[in-house]
Order: sequence, then structure tokens, then C-alpha cells
Amino acid sequence: MLSAALPTGAAFLREHLRAPLTLVLLVAIPAFFVLVFASVLGEFATALGGDLAQRAATSISAGWAAAFLSGTLAFFQVSSSRGADRRLALAGLGSWRVATARIGAAVAMAVAVSAVAFATLSLRSGVEHPAHAAVAILAFALIYIGIGAAVGAAIRSPLEGSLVVMLAFSLDVFSGPRMTSEGGIAAWTPTRDAAELLVAAGGGMASPAADWLAVGGAAAGALAVALVAFWLGSRTRG
Amino acid sequence: MSAIVLRAERLEKSFHRGIWPRRRKIPVLEGATLEVRAGELVGLVGENGSGKSTLMQIVVGLLPRDGGEVDRPGKLGYCPQQPMVWEKLTVDEHFELFSRAYGMNDEQRLGTTRDLLAELDFDRYREYRVEELSGGTRQKLNLALALMHEPDLLLLDEPYTGFDWETYLRFWELSERRRDAGMGILIVSHLLAERDRLDRMYELCEGRICTC
Repeated sequence: MLSAALPTGAAFLREHLRAPLTLVLLVAIPAFFVLVFASVLGEFATALGGDLAQRAATSISAGWAAAFLSGTLAFFQVSSSRGADRRLALAGLGSWRVATARIGAAVAMAVAVSAVAFATLSLRSGVEHPAHAAVAILAFALIYIGIGAAVGAAIRSPLEGSLVVMLAFSLDVFSGPRMTSEGGIAAWTPTRDAAELLVAAGGGMASPAADWLAVGGAAAGALAVALVAFWLGSRTRG
Repeated sequence: MSAIVLRAERLEKSFHRGIWPRRRKIPVLEGATLEVRAGELVGLVGENGSGKSTLMQIVVGLLPRDGGEVDRPGKLGYCPQQPMVWEKLTVDEHFELFSRAYGMNDEQRLGTTRDLLAELDFDRYREYRVEELSGGTRQKLNLALALMHEPDLLLLDEPYTGFDWETYLRFWELSERRRDAGMGILIVSHLLAERDRLDRMYELCEGRICTC
């Protein structure tokens, strides 16, 4: 299965990297989030009754940058290539191989956006626990692959779909840890544990094993959702 | 009599549009039946919106059917009405991806690619990305991808959209050569003028096949 999916995934990745605007946004969005969005986030947290400190807001913004880019790219992977992917599956590659190739490309893009977001964060404020922060940022990106791909599979229109991804992202950002007073939907947001991990890593604190497990579970679950979404996007009928 | 390469029987399909309470059921196919044999060039005609492309997509496996049966033993080649390709990949990269899907080795891929590029006269565009191609050249790629593996059944959904006259004639020569070599070909068209080029023709009227 992998012998066919790997080169196909590489082609899908090349397709993304050939969009000049994507490459510009890959650098511009982490810079915007870490340098500008972080301070706004801190002010919003105060207004919403949260206690997100400025340093924590800066750390968490790198995660949001990776999540935003990764989710948007995953959405467009399903939305813009549905017809061609189905044709390739029909030609004999099969929907699962196409979905595996799409997951491969999405994870490679997630690693790239996470690396850029991590580098931006390091340059801006330094990171006390760089390995922990890198993993947490990657977890943000992986979780949003699931969200972006699921929206892409459910909503065909690029405009409506991208608005739904934005809505999910906004709800997640503004109800995340320390953004609001306790309770509400904060306990249910998909990136809650990754955000806790990233805030702790930014401040030089280690996180308990339970948080790591929760983040791993959320990322694995999101990738499973994404696999099904990519399969739905390329499935054929017998 | 040559072997049947496609048999579609009593196909039914409706689409549901709108949101309750304005949700409507739009019947498109209501028992359409057709068959194609090896070495036949068969047309499927009908007015705009008569369900030709829907029928084709059901036969191919891109759309689920509400009822009926489809049997198509053998290798399938499908050329959709709108090119289903990736904008940022090159012509050569498309051939590479599809040759892998068809299970072709490198030698077969290189030989077939060379022949099709020459036959459809777009060899000079092989390094171009799809987004850089004209509509007609995209359509040539769209058609070539369906032909790469020499299928037993070739389904063409208005395949010459955007072709100039020379390419249009070349397309029919190409189709006739393959028909003569034993390929079964079903061409969707809304042009009755092409009747002379076809061995047989089906017409879709109100969701059913009516005699031409």
C-alpha cells in the first residue's frame, strides 16, 4: 500500500509547495500570530475573565499559527482536489491509498508549518523547554488536520467550508485554557491539552504524563478523523 | 458476436435539492438501460439536463445509484466532461501518477506517454503545469489519461470540448482506431451531427433510453 501511496503523497505535497502564496503565508502567518496576535490575545483573555499572561499568550500563539495553517491546508486538500482524487482512486489506486497519500502530505505540511511557528517563537521570546514546545505546536497542527479535512469532506463549497474552519478556529482560540473563566466549552476544545503543554513549555515547566497522553490521543484521533475524511473525499461507488 | 464490455440495466437516480420545507426530489434517471460491446463506438445523446453525465458517472462509479445494475468486466478508462486534474502538477507528473494507479511499469509508462503525446500533438507541453495550459490542451491531457492503459471500455463525456477542428478530427481518428482494435467506446454528446461516426446511438429522454 505504501509503495503507491508514498510517491502519490509526494506529488500532493509538491502541488502545495508550488503555490507561491502558500509559501509566503507559511512565514507571514506565524510571524503575525506571534508578534501581533499574541498581545491581542492577552488583552482578550483579560476581558473574558481569563488569566493568560503575555508570555503564555506568545507561546500559545505559535500553536495557533500552526493550527490555522494546517487546518486551512487540510481543508483545501479535500475541497479543491475531490474530482481528481476520485478519478485517481477509480483508475485503480483505491480510495484508501489516495487518503493515505493525502494524510502523508498533510502531516508533512504540518511538520513544516510547526517548524516555522516554533522558529518564530524561539526568535521572539525564546523557549525554556524547546522539545516540549515543538511537540505541542506539532500537536496543534495535527489536530487541525482532522478539523480541516472533516469540514472539507462535509462541505463542498470552498467559501462556506473555509468560513466553518474559521468559526471552529475562533471558538477554539477564544475558549481555550486561561482565555475565559473556568467552565463553559473550554473543557471540550480539541486543543486544550496541547495549549496547556505549550504554555507550560514556554514558561519552563514540565507537564504531567496525563497531559502528554491526552495530547497524543487528541492528535491520533484527529488523524484518524482526517483519514476517514480524505477517504470520503476520494471514495468511489461500486 | 463480440463480448459485452458494459451492461447498465434499469438505472434510477434522483437528486434531492434544497432544505426542508423547500426540499425537492428531482428524478433524473428512471430505468435507463444500455449496453456496449467490444469493438463498438456507441453514442449517448440527449438534451441538456437529460441525465447523460449522471448516467456516465453512475456507470463509472463516481455517483451512487438508487436502483438498477451495472456490469463492466474489464479495464475501464474514463474521460470526464470537466478535466479532473491537479492544477499545479505538470503533464508528465499526471502521466506518472495515473500509470502507477493503472499498475503500469516505467517502460510501459514511457512508451504510452510518448505515443499519446504524439498522437494528440501536445508533446511540447509535457513540462507545463496544468494551470499553464489552454482549455484544449487540458482536455487533451484529460483524454490521454483515460487512454493510457488501453482499457477494454472507454467512457467519454463530451471529450472534445475546447478542441480546435484539427484536434477534433484527430480525436475521431483516434477513437475509430481503438474501436477497430476491439475497444468498446461510449461517447456522451449533445450533438446529433456526430451520428454518422457512431456504430449505434442511444438517446436519453425523460430518464429513459428511447430508440434513435
